[in-house]
Amino acid sequence: MNITKQVEQLLKQGDVDIFLAYRELDGHLIPHGYTLDNLEDLENLKVSQHRYSLEKVATHLTEKKPNLKIGIVARDCNQRALNLLYTWNQLSPENITPLMVNCCPSQTRNHSDCTYLEPKKTGTFKQKKGIDFNENPREFMDNNDNGQRFSRWMYEFSKCIKCYGCRNICPVCFCTDCSLENPDLVEPGALPPEIPIFHLVRATHMAGRCIDCGLCEDACPAEIPLRFLYREMNRIVSDVFDYTPGAGLEKSPFTIIGNEVTLEPRPMDA
Amino acid sequence: MNCKFVPSVCSYCGTGCGVLFEVIDGKINSTLPLKSHPVNQGKLCIKGWSLHEYINSYMRLKAPLVKENGHFQKATWDEAITHAAKNFNRIKETHGPDAIGVLVSAKVTNEENYLAQKLARAAIGTNNVDHCARL
Amino acid sequence: MTNSIEEFETHSKVIFVIGSNTTACHPLIASRIIKAKENGAKLIVADPRNIQLSRYADFTVHQRLGSDVALLNGMMHIIIKNNWHDQAYIEQRCEDFEQLKETLHTYTPTMVEAITGIAKKDITKMAELYATQSPAALLYAMGITQHTTGVDNVKSCCNLAMLCGNVGVAGGGVNPLRGQNNVQGACDMGGLPNVFTGYQPVADPKAREKFSQAWDCELSDTPGMTITDMISAIEEGKIKGLYVIGENPKLSDPDKNHLDNAFKKLDFLITEDIFLTESAQIADVVFASASLGEREGTFTNTERRCMLTRKAVEPVGNALPDWEIISRFSTALGYEMNYDCPSDIFNEMTSLTKSYQGMSYQRLGIDGLQWPCPTPEHPGTPYLHKNIFTRGKGKFHAIDYKDPAELTCEDYPMLMTTGRMFAHFHTGTMTRVSTSLDSEQKTGYVEINPKDARRLNINTDDMILLTSRRGKIEAPARITDSVPPNNIFLPIHFGENPTNVLTSSTAFDPIAKIPEFKVGAVKIEKLIA
Repeated sequence: MNITKQVEQLLKQGDVDIFLAYRELDGHLIPHGYTLDNLEDLENLKVSQHRYSLEKVATHLTEKKPNLKIGIVARDCNQRALNLLYTWNQLSPENITPLMVNCCPSQTRNHSDCTYLEPKKTGTFKQKKGIDFNENPREFMDNNDNGQRFSRWMYEFSKCIKCYGCRNICPVCFCTDCSLENPDLVEPGALPPEIPIFHLVRATHMAGRCIDCGLCEDACPAEIPLRFLYREMNRIVSDVFDYTPGAGLEKSPFTIIGNEVTLEPRPMDA
Repeated sequence: MNCKFVPSVCSYCGTGCGVLFEVIDGKINSTLPLKSHPVNQGKLCIKGWSLHEYINSYMRLKAPLVKENGHFQKATWDEAITHAAKNFNRIKETHGPDAIGVLVSAKVTNEENYLAQKLARAAIGTNNVDHCARL
Repeated sequence: MTNSIEEFETHSKVIFVIGSNTTACHPLIASRIIKAKENGAKLIVADPRNIQLSRYADFTVHQRLGSDVALLNGMMHIIIKNNWHDQAYIEQRCEDFEQLKETLHTYTPTMVEAITGIAKKDITKMAELYATQSPAALLYAMGITQHTTGVDNVKSCCNLAMLCGNVGVAGGGVNPLRGQNNVQGACDMGGLPNVFTGYQPVADPKAREKFSQAWDCELSDTPGMTITDMISAIEEGKIKGLYVIGENPKLSDPDKNHLDNAFKKLDFLITEDIFLTESAQIADVVFASASLGEREGTFTNTERRCMLTRKAVEPVGNALPDWEIISRFSTALGYEMNYDCPSDIFNEMTSLTKSYQGMSYQRLGIDGLQWPCPTPEHPGTPYLHKNIFTRGKGKFHAIDYKDPAELTCEDYPMLMTTGRMFAHFHTGTMTRVSTSLDSEQKTGYVEINPKDARRLNINTDDMILLTSRRGKIEAPARITDSVPPNNIFLPIHFGENPTNVLTSSTAFDPIAKIPEFKVGAVKIEKLIA
């Protein structure tokens, strides 16, 4: 059964109140919420090459109506994000119906999530400076000494224009009060934001959290290799705790610190 | 519950980044970069990401205002427009059309700028039309 | 912009940024510059301040405030001397080269160093970097234009670009970065005192005849007043009524005290806005407008790309789209306007405007179209002046350096420059009500070099009194070496520290009437709390 039919059935049977997928508009694929009220839109339903964080949209909808039953067209990365949001009580699995799609098979994995796993071209200047997208974090760490690694990252962070896009687009960033906006940690109003603390604050928060979807790097106007940075954070988490965020419904090792870190679902904006 | 995404263009600087408004039940809930847009290719600056915040601001003007004895009073559109037109026509009759100036805007649409200069030139009869390009 | 944003990344071999704090003011254009740089393009930055972009430039210079003509002439002097200019291009496509050459003769590195403060060898290096690879794109913003010599600065930029054959090629060009989302559109739509849409002069009988027929009315053949002239005319009692749409002149125009006095003399002021701005507060009638997302319509960005914005939600309260307000107001004035929707207005406009003639809402879609787009089949124009300049030959202008209107003196020993910071916009009307942006920067400040701070015993956040010939304001100090010694920088967004109290309304470019917001003499004192 094709996905359009499946969605129609889910809506008509009342299994979901709204289904989040994509539609085509003037040659662009954009996210769309399909409901019984706009069934005629279904003929336009698409699975997009471009990835948006539909699970983040689901959290927005859930804030407004906690028991809303939501369907989502999901790839591996969306599913990992959903798993993580379940374990942190931001969404309930019983309210979410993912329809898995195999959108872009890559050489690295047979049911892969995105084009981002394919090697990205790195600019000549960047290569000269040393940070190469083609290199994996482990090799990067092994091949360079502390001083080299430090100066490379300082260059990358100096380009930041403080758009907060990495946080805003992140499907697993759901804190009501964000440390990046805490004036005790990061001085507000400066461009670039304080180096390296701004990026390290975020990187620390990504440990045990980041589901490696790559949306942050994709949204970064300065092309800072954020995915690379957070992967390194999670390599450590994996080595120490044997935990991969979003891989399953296992509680994060960071919850052992105490219940207070298990955040209640709360509205995102004031 | 209804949720749609509406493409638009950022209204801050002149770059013209493509955005998507996340609309939930008739209210703009957030702003996202439009991934496939030719100008910004799925990226935005801090102002672009916050674009919906000024639209949703509680400070927005919700009705036309007319000043009476130094204080603003809420008015209907008919009252405000009639009052304004009466005074502009009075100035025009007494001092001529060039006693009126119109400042159009780098913030409103092409259609609205077109109409505003048409209003100055055709309805009032003056070429005293300018905007803040210099500022 | 003569060229397109994308070309910086895809075509430019050299990018020369002068008078633009791009990462703060046009971040997504800065993003292209950074990518170009990482892919091997050379980046040159010339700015009096130490801006973020200069951190990864191949070459950075800090010219003295207002010395741009001297710097550009100095570069051209060296280029010609070393034969780095494009002689074939100049012969084929340009005129008046000899006059330029003669003027440039005196701009030796020694003389230019004395005016700009840039070392001779640096000027040479910069000239070499710009001229020996092509295409080279030149980008500028208000750092070039907001001067008494704004027009001279722009013409000098054009001289340099033409000298090296960089106009009319992909990845080259002279590219002013527009500061407002629709400042290009407002100009294109005839929002200027001397032209109808598409820059058709009101003084041209043929253009007037065309519009007169289309609009079914008589039209005045006298060009009107610019905003700068209107303010004086209001003060002299010549202008009695003012209709201000979506602007906040009380904060954006120079010399606030003078402006406040002028506005008091108005017989009737109408403002049309989405907020009760400083200017709206003194109005007689305020029209409440729908904002972006609450109405449909097109914007034209800095690369001449006309794009459609759609209606996402209903207007707040009783607010109306500006096109509806203007139509109803015009009808009440006695000139009937009847439109069902913005596309009707758009179609009327395109029928009268050649550069937009091939556009329709349907064609615009999401990507938009770059003018000129004269026919429904025309794909739009990514860069201008291909093969031939719009005016025929590219004209060189021989230009001599002139000092800014105000230099330092005993009473006002420091130079002030003004501009934007990354989290706010213009007069702050839209950004200061935005929670995220407000939490980034809550109030105005004054940037002071550590040397001056030490000399005057100023610490971060100390309140500083700034005095110019026009007035005084207070602002907290921010100590940073992003401003050179003896210079200060003030952001323009904050009504409680209004920079336009300090700026001059009499110092403006004689042709463009643009005020000299980028240079002014001030005195600073620490306020003892």
